[in-house]
Amino acid sequence: MAEHISHLFIISIILYLAGSLFALCFYGWQRVGNYISLILAAIASCFSIAAAAVALSSGSTIRLDFTIYHAIIKYNFLLDPVSSYFILAIAVIGFVAAIYSIGYTRLYVNKRDTRFLGFTYNIFLASMLLVATANNAVVFMIVWELMTVVSFFLVIYEHENPANMKAGFMYIIMAHIGSVFLSVAFFIMFAHTGTWDFGFDDFRKVGSHMPLIYKNVVFFLVIIGFGIKAGIFPLHLWLPMAHPAAPSNVSMVMSGVMIKTAIYGFIRFYFEFLTPCPPWWGVVVLIIGASSALLGILYALTEKDIKTLLAYSSIENNGIIIIGIGLSMIFKSYNLMALSSLAMMAGLYHLVNHAVFKSLLFGCAGNIYYATHTKNIEELGGLIKRLRVTAPLFLVGALAISAIPPLNGFFSEWLIFQSILNGFHIPSVIIKIVTIICGAVVALTGALVATCFVKAFGISFLALPRSDCAKKAKEVPVIMLVSMGLLASLCVFLGIFPVKVMMVINSVNTHLLNTNILPAITSYDWLHTKSVQTNFTELSPKSATVLGLMLLAVTFGVLTSIKPRFVRKIYETWTCGRSPEPRLEYTATAFTRPFKTIFSNLYRPQREVRTEYSVPNFFVKSITYVGEVSPIFEKYFYSPVARFILNISNRVRWVHTGSIHIYLTYIFITLIILIIFVGK
Amino acid sequence: MTAKIILPILQILVIVGFSPLVKGFINKIEARLQCRRGASIFQPYYNLVKLLRKDAVVSETSSWIFRATPYVTFISILIISLLVPVLSSQVPLNFTGDIILIIYLFALARFFLVLTSLDTGSAFGGMGGSREMMVSSMAEPAMILSIFTVALTVNSTNLSNITNLLLNNSVLLLNPSLFLAFLAFAIVLIAEAGRIPVDNPFTHLELTMIHEGMMLEFSGRYLALVEWASSMKLLLLLTILVNIFFPWGIAGGLTFSGLIIAFALYVVKIGFFAFLIVIVEMSFAKLRLFRIPNLLGTAFILSVLAIISLYVVR
Repeated sequence: MAEHISHLFIISIILYLAGSLFALCFYGWQRVGNYISLILAAIASCFSIAAAAVALSSGSTIRLDFTIYHAIIKYNFLLDPVSSYFILAIAVIGFVAAIYSIGYTRLYVNKRDTRFLGFTYNIFLASMLLVATANNAVVFMIVWELMTVVSFFLVIYEHENPANMKAGFMYIIMAHIGSVFLSVAFFIMFAHTGTWDFGFDDFRKVGSHMPLIYKNVVFFLVIIGFGIKAGIFPLHLWLPMAHPAAPSNVSMVMSGVMIKTAIYGFIRFYFEFLTPCPPWWGVVVLIIGASSALLGILYALTEKDIKTLLAYSSIENNGIIIIGIGLSMIFKSYNLMALSSLAMMAGLYHLVNHAVFKSLLFGCAGNIYYATHTKNIEELGGLIKRLRVTAPLFLVGALAISAIPPLNGFFSEWLIFQSILNGFHIPSVIIKIVTIICGAVVALTGALVATCFVKAFGISFLALPRSDCAKKAKEVPVIMLVSMGLLASLCVFLGIFPVKVMMVINSVNTHLLNTNILPAITSYDWLHTKSVQTNFTELSPKSATVLGLMLLAVTFGVLTSIKPRFVRKIYETWTCGRSPEPRLEYTATAFTRPFKTIFSNLYRPQREVRTEYSVPNFFVKSITYVGEVSPIFEKYFYSPVARFILNISNRVRWVHTGSIHIYLTYIFITLIILIIFVGK
Repeated sequence: MTAKIILPILQILVIVGFSPLVKGFINKIEARLQCRRGASIFQPYYNLVKLLRKDAVVSETSSWIFRATPYVTFISILIISLLVPVLSSQVPLNFTGDIILIIYLFALARFFLVLTSLDTGSAFGGMGGSREMMVSSMAEPAMILSIFTVALTVNSTNLSNITNLLLNNSVLLLNPSLFLAFLAFAIVLIAEAGRIPVDNPFTHLELTMIHEGMMLEFSGRYLALVEWASSMKLLLLLTILVNIFFPWGIAGGLTFSGLIIAFALYVVKIGFFAFLIVIVEMSFAKLRLFRIPNLLGTAFILSVLAIISLYVVR
């Protein structure tokens, strides 16, 4: 069994590498090379899915050790249920995105080198899978860096645009700051292992005997290191820049699964390496999650660029996942293992849900861009009559992300609420109150998400087109729609049949927390199918759906019997005597204006209205309105830090004289100091 | 077994059948207090019957969303009426979901209504939709926290269980935190149902309308469904309020006599709270739009206090 799994995994990695090399081979025949590499990526993903599925169902732990004689680095990989769960998420999204890319890359054919896209895309997927399996700190950092660098190249794929280059550089700089923090964390822990291996297996034993002060330091280093990748506030700056800059098929993967590798890191550190944790760690993580969720959605709300909006919403969803992780940590530190397992289930369920619906939404945003060549929703409108298939797909994604039953977003939100309610088992009153306030934050976030996605769907798809590009839009190639259809049906499936997913997550929990709560939280309902229950209540999304359909049939029957021939007369919308025009429609800016006013302390909106007169003060020629949200994080957090660093570097500039002799002296002095201190 | 089939049907009939009456009752009382004679309390029924017999005019700008919305709204409210204890604290379908599902089913109805408000391309619709989302977003945290207070008092989020447990341990109802939660929920109810001082259901002036703004473009059968859904929503919110905080009289089992008594008391209780709504509507003017967050903020603070006092009292 174990051999099969490891073979499947190795084959999939080899296929990814083959795919990336094939992409480079076809210079004159780019389209074919591109298709071959993407199809290979899809097949490779299938192998990974198979490997992860088998590993999860058997609950086994597989080691892959490639020992190279005399090599310093030990290439250890491990497929335990935690890794397998992440591999499953990465590979499913990688598979769908690869199929989607076959259509989407037509946008670039003959315009730019698509070989490069196929090459990096394959390596990107492989590197993420390796991040989730690396079992050695050195290997982990290597593949982590590989993932960052490759995704950097994907972000700057359309590099003529200076905004994309800026986004790419912001991304790679921040990602490297994160890597520095992670390396320091690894080194501190390494100092306490007593071996030279850097193996995760040694780190797993280190938590019990490491002094608390070092553990606290590592805790914060890890929060920053992985937090940058997860895009938590205020370390989110790169995320809303880089995700929109990348081509949509890449943003799908980046937003859907790449940022989830940070969650993977959190789980490894806080549940395996640094255990036992003090309760306040969980509280810190919880508060970080809640504030990221709220701030993320507040910024998404005012956004007009559809991909930036989705990127901010990824921050929000990552926040919700982190709330689940934080709750799980709190419960675990009080040794409430069943509740810890429930909260972990909520977080991991939301993780896979977010991967599915966010990839769906990014894909649909890609469809919109493919059809209209714009990402600004103020220029869209009326697309529901032009992109007839994309519209319902986007709607499914929007409903799912707004946690509307019976789609999948609702179920994980419900689990989060159940875990938060169980916070009353925590002995400390302060932590109890913090958890319940987080519940209120999640509720507010949920309502704001609904507003945000009503706006995103309503303004871009409904009413009359607001520009020529929206008017001329045509439906995208079938293959893109098919792949998005897969994700949309996954949204429905994950929402209506939650027990299947919970069984999978339960095997992760059984491995990670040594508790099996599945028998306690599932039961057979009246239809003799599995429903979900907690100590508070039961929930059966399936029977709610069945009831809804039954009621629909009855309502329809009654209405038809009252009036058998119901006629709809088509007439134009009443707009006070004028003929309907796009300019009369509500805009995205207007739609979220009340929120800008309410949260003006956060947004600090800057408004400028300029009026030009043809005859002064009487006949208005034109009115220009500029409304912007001021970026307070850049202003009050990043700029001071940047200025401080620049000041310091100005001060120490005199050290760099440019003369080689002086540099040699520096090296000599350093050497002597090292000999004195280390030689002792 | 027969009771398990009859009771859900009874629940739906009560909610569907009596919700227009509640609206008519409120309108009548309000008219009397304003020294008008007012329309008959059965006027909402006449309106619905007339609307259901009519054809509809549909905007050429609109899409299938417009035609689906009335059904989605109506059905999601109907599902809720199966999950809320109305006459008996035993709800046969209570395994389907809890209060959180109910809150999000309301959100489903709202999501589609707001989409439709954007669908026709009229500025009034968008205005109403935007304001509706604002009010509901501000109301959501207070609603969740006040519900959580009740849920934590009895360790359940299932409405049927909540009512049952509170009915059997009435001492719990004297808990001061439940009183605070009740106040918060009452404020949220007024906001969610779109009554004065948050929204004026009688206005059709673009500056003041919120909920009505979204429904402007509906006609015929569509208007009937949406109007009916909104009056059902009012009755359902009142039912939740009444049966959580004042569960006395609700039938504990499924006996015929118990249900009759429960029905009589239910009518009295709903009538009383409908009267209170009238009093509130009579004594306040509609708030300015940007004062509404303050009101709902008050509700939020009340519900936070409710939770904190619950934890401290424990």
